[in-house]
Amino acid sequence: MRDNVHDESRYADDLGPDEELAQALGLLDPAQQDPNYWLSFRSWVLSNATAELARRRLMHELTVADVMSSWAGGVVSTAVLAAVLAGLLLVRGADDPPPPPVGVEELLVSEVEGETIPTLLAPETNGAVAFASEIF
Amino acid sequence: MSLEGSEIPADGDLVHRAKRGDKFAFGQLVERYQGATYAVALSVTGRHEGAEDAAQESFLVALQRLDECRSPERFAGWLMTIVRNRSRNLVRRESLRHTDQVPPAARSLVPMPDRVAETSELRERLKRALAALPEIQRQIVLLHDLEGWTHREIAGRLGLPSGTVRSHLHFARKALRVSLGGTPAGPDLQRKAL
Repeated sequence: MRDNVHDESRYADDLGPDEELAQALGLLDPAQQDPNYWLSFRSWVLSNATAELARRRLMHELTVADVMSSWAGGVVSTAVLAAVLAGLLLVRGADDPPPPPVGVEELLVSEVEGETIPTLLAPETNGAVAFASEIF
Repeated sequence: MSLEGSEIPADGDLVHRAKRGDKFAFGQLVERYQGATYAVALSVTGRHEGAEDAAQESFLVALQRLDECRSPERFAGWLMTIVRNRSRNLVRRESLRHTDQVPPAARSLVPMPDRVAETSELRERLKRALAALPEIQRQIVLLHDLEGWTHREIAGRLGLPSGTVRSHLHFARKALRVSLGGTPAGPDLQRKAL
């Protein structure tokens, strides 16, 4: 399989190559029976990897501009529709009279029901003199 | 093999290029590790056909999962893990399937020239001797003595302590020599192989 099995310099601090055993194990190398074995092996792998390699090339070649342009159709049409709707609402809203100005104090008490002091507003106390004080 | 040389691209570089779909870079990775993947697959499956299938499929799986390889410079170790897992799955599937293949004993009855027969017999003896070893020792002895990796390369790529690799290699060689007929088996093996 590999020629460097006989290169002793690679085994400086190793157990070293066992030439006899390596030669015997070499019988298990398929290239001993078919010299083109590894070439065929590699060809098989590469031909079956073609689709995945092509997919990876395509993914890598896609740029940011490509992605933006692929989105452009949907994004632009949605933005135009939203702008038209907003414009229509603004035009329709311009025909109504503006609301009258409201004072801050009025806003603070609006929608708040004022509680009367029962003693002062009771019918039998009409005409009577009364003093009232509130402490906040 | 010196991967640090300026002429030879490092694994990390090839992996980055392969991730971008560079066929040439992926081809270089396949060429660099085809023998090792086959050796590891053979150490698990114990037979050529299974080892070939597992090794080839492992490259395809590795390419599909290349983005999961967190340390591209340690591609070899990552790839060997895939090979081991694929090979074990293959063995598991094969053990569940009953095949009507011709058993090795029957195949050996087919007449063949003497030298081819001797080589074939020796190959079968080797396979049996390897089969008697623990899986890790088979991997180490095949990567070292068949594929030519140093014990440091094996340690780094398989994620094992260097001393453990040396120890496994020592015991694997010793066991193989015993299984193949003792020390004199070496010259005997050579004579038969040649």
